[in-house]
Amino acid sequence: MTMFSTTRRTLFAGAAAGAAFAAVGAPRLALAAPETGRPAPDFAATDTKGARVSLADMRGKVVVLEWTNHDCPFVRKHYGAGNMQDLQRLAASQGFTWISIISSAPGKQGHVSAEEANRLSETRDATPAHVILDPEGTIGRAYQARTTPQMFVIGTDGTLLYMGGIDSIASSRQADIETAVPYVRNAIEAIAAGRPVPEAVTRPYGCAVHYAT
Amino acid sequence: MSSHTLRRLVFGAALLVSVQGPASATSGGVAETERVRAELLADVAAIAPGKTFRIGLDLAMARDWHTYWRNPGDSGMATEIALDLPEGWRTDGIAWPAPERLPYGTLVNFGFHDRVTLPVTVHPPRDLAPGSTITLRAEASWLVCKDVCIPEEAVFTLTLPVAATPVPARPETLARFTEAERRRPGVSPFAARIEDGGPRVALVLAGAGRAQATLREAVFFPHDWGVIDHSEIQTVRREGGDLRIEMVRGEAGLGERIAGVVTLAEAAPDGVLTTAFTIDAPVAPAPPPGTLLPFWQALLFAFAGGLILNLMPCVFPVLSMKALALVRLGAGARSEVRAHTLSYTAGVLVSFGLIAVALLALRAGGIAAGWGFQFQSPVFVALVAWVLFAVGLSLSGVFHVGGRLAGAGQSLAMRGGHGGSFFTGVLAVIVATPCTAPFMGAAVGFAVTAPPAVLVSVMVAMGLGLAAPYALIAAVPSLAGLMPRPGAWMERLKQAMAFPMYASAVWLVWVLSQQTGPSGVLVALAGMVLIAFAAWAWEATRDAGRGWRRTGTALAGAAAIAMLALVPRLEAALPTQTRCSEAAGPATAEPYSAARLAALRDDGRPVFVNMTAAWCITCLVNERTSLATGAVQRAFAERGIAYLSGDWTRQDPAITDYLRRFGRSGVPIYVFYPAGGGDPVVLPQILTEAIVLNALGAAGG
Repeated sequence: MTMFSTTRRTLFAGAAAGAAFAAVGAPRLALAAPETGRPAPDFAATDTKGARVSLADMRGKVVVLEWTNHDCPFVRKHYGAGNMQDLQRLAASQGFTWISIISSAPGKQGHVSAEEANRLSETRDATPAHVILDPEGTIGRAYQARTTPQMFVIGTDGTLLYMGGIDSIASSRQADIETAVPYVRNAIEAIAAGRPVPEAVTRPYGCAVHYAT
Repeated sequence: MSSHTLRRLVFGAALLVSVQGPASATSGGVAETERVRAELLADVAAIAPGKTFRIGLDLAMARDWHTYWRNPGDSGMATEIALDLPEGWRTDGIAWPAPERLPYGTLVNFGFHDRVTLPVTVHPPRDLAPGSTITLRAEASWLVCKDVCIPEEAVFTLTLPVAATPVPARPETLARFTEAERRRPGVSPFAARIEDGGPRVALVLAGAGRAQATLREAVFFPHDWGVIDHSEIQTVRREGGDLRIEMVRGEAGLGERIAGVVTLAEAAPDGVLTTAFTIDAPVAPAPPPGTLLPFWQALLFAFAGGLILNLMPCVFPVLSMKALALVRLGAGARSEVRAHTLSYTAGVLVSFGLIAVALLALRAGGIAAGWGFQFQSPVFVALVAWVLFAVGLSLSGVFHVGGRLAGAGQSLAMRGGHGGSFFTGVLAVIVATPCTAPFMGAAVGFAVTAPPAVLVSVMVAMGLGLAAPYALIAAVPSLAGLMPRPGAWMERLKQAMAFPMYASAVWLVWVLSQQTGPSGVLVALAGMVLIAFAAWAWEATRDAGRGWRRTGTALAGAAAIAMLALVPRLEAALPTQTRCSEAAGPATAEPYSAARLAALRDDGRPVFVNMTAAWCITCLVNERTSLATGAVQRAFAERGIAYLSGDWTRQDPAITDYLRRFGRSGVPIYVFYPAGGGDPVVLPQILTEAIVLNALGAAGG
């Protein structure tokens, strides 16, 4: 006998009984999770150079979001090998807007001031169009970003086209970059060529995002 | 921590990397940082040609640091062991122990803290020459995290002599492998399936739902990323004899099968026992047809239910009185009529809104109190049956309740103006409660298991149903002439409504009989007799003198208390026969008795005693994974071991005595008495096949 048929017939009963059934636990529902093929969560913020950035104002441009934490070994893997910088240049060459987002809370690994963030871009030869500090984790939570690095690609109409890892091998070894499937590169190239993204949802790997608690 | 120190730490970890093991025969060398002490172990001091052996990466982590399982969860990285093997050698992958949930902020990872040994079985070729030595090289890498993560890696070499027969490693090394074996998930004792319910996914373990009060936690760890949302709470509920673990779907889609590990934590008198097993479950759509009402149908039912409430004897007079007053206002005051209608509707809707809020609060409280399991609890079913029976008696006119409450509402409703109309709406809802129509039940049943927004919609639909006739008459006053006059028919209708109540109560007693057997039925029916007596004693003395009234109240109260005192008996009324057929183990199992044990011991026979209980899930898992296996059955047969099984489901005092002799206050307990009257050996409470075989072998010769 299933629970539901029990419920239904039992409740051939009455509101008095119904109130008693209120005790039955209902599962907690998840917040609307970002989903490919659906509008990406909107956000607006001021970048580390003082410019206003709003996703809604970027319709017509492809936007790449990169969650980062410069001290995370997995982020260091991709910056150390120049892989992340290469992807940033590739995106820029296609006219895409690259936004790096730092959701580390104050006092936690990866938290930086705007000046430090800009200096990091300089010393690492990184060329994101914007760096956004998200110490309260508002944008990170809207995207349910879990790891650094974690990547999202948003189409010209604001639709989420890609979410997941930067590539397929979950390691902190630079040597693995060569043999991994470059998910983000593939996504950027597919979108630039007007093709559908081959693998639109992949596993993000890396350090946990150090949100404010 | 400043980024500077951090960088130094990372750098320090990178320096560690190449730890060459001392060329000791048993130790593969140790790599140590301030976070992890890593050692490569082998379970043999010497290997033999063609004989499999195990190596193990032993990770001892500093406090608060952890490493990861094969699926690391939301972040992190699985530990890797890459073996560099000579030609002709083969290995299996890591035999992962069952992981733990490691919450970090809003994220959840899967891994290990404190200490873990990750074993790998190695198959050497047959053509090794005894007397030679072999060297294995292993590159291990792991991510160790606290609030920050540090990747570490080490290279170990392990040199082992080759002998004609394997030589076991030192006992402390073997203990690490035994521990790994103990933590390794066994084969699932339950048939498992995955129900794909759209955003929600449920893992159903058939037959695992019997641990009523003892199950503390059940967690599913999928082997692959993206199947479920790792960080979302997993809700556990019993459904008949099954156990459901309800989860939120992950990002990657479900595929055709889902594999992973289930851990069950069960409260035993001697502490919490955690068992783990592997499942590989087919995915099927959740069965929607005929089980839950679709949303629109629930709304329709609720609306119809609300409409019918208008005909109830307690509501109808209020309505007709108000409707007639409305008609009297006449067509001249249309806007006035509309305002009254709105006030009345608002009164009804606000009341239903409050009911919805109360339901939500109760539900939230229920979840907080961990009431997910209560649905199939016999106590719950009996209480609902009793409530329905009492409502039926009230409808039949055996007793009357709520007169004063309705009276207070009546005086408010009699007030003129919009306030009066508003309170008439409130009153209609209040007085409707004791004489609820059957329709409402299905809608409420749907609503309490539905998301909050749906619950509120259903309650609002019911309110609209209740308010509709009044609104209709306000809009078309000529309809008032069609309204039936209040009269004796109302009382008849009310009485007729009692029968669906009785029918539902009977059906619930039948459900109870399935759950508890005859003794539960006796308890439920005795409770009904007490309810009927209380109702009669109360009602019969209402119009009598003060002394009689007091006596009646006291009698009714005593009957109610006696009824509640019956409740604990339902918990004890467990099924009688579910056990025997499932007491898996050697086919020659005999029931335990102290005399039988003594007789067997006097004969010098080896004896294995298993004390178990129907509600003990750990017992069941042990029996299916470690006692019923072919190898164990053969060992029992070959060595002539007598198998005595005691059923403690009803806390048999003979078994309680036996448990006490071993300082235990509950099951499971496994005791092996070697042949020839040697001292008994108590096995661990969580068994593996290897533990059982070792115990039989080591102690029995």
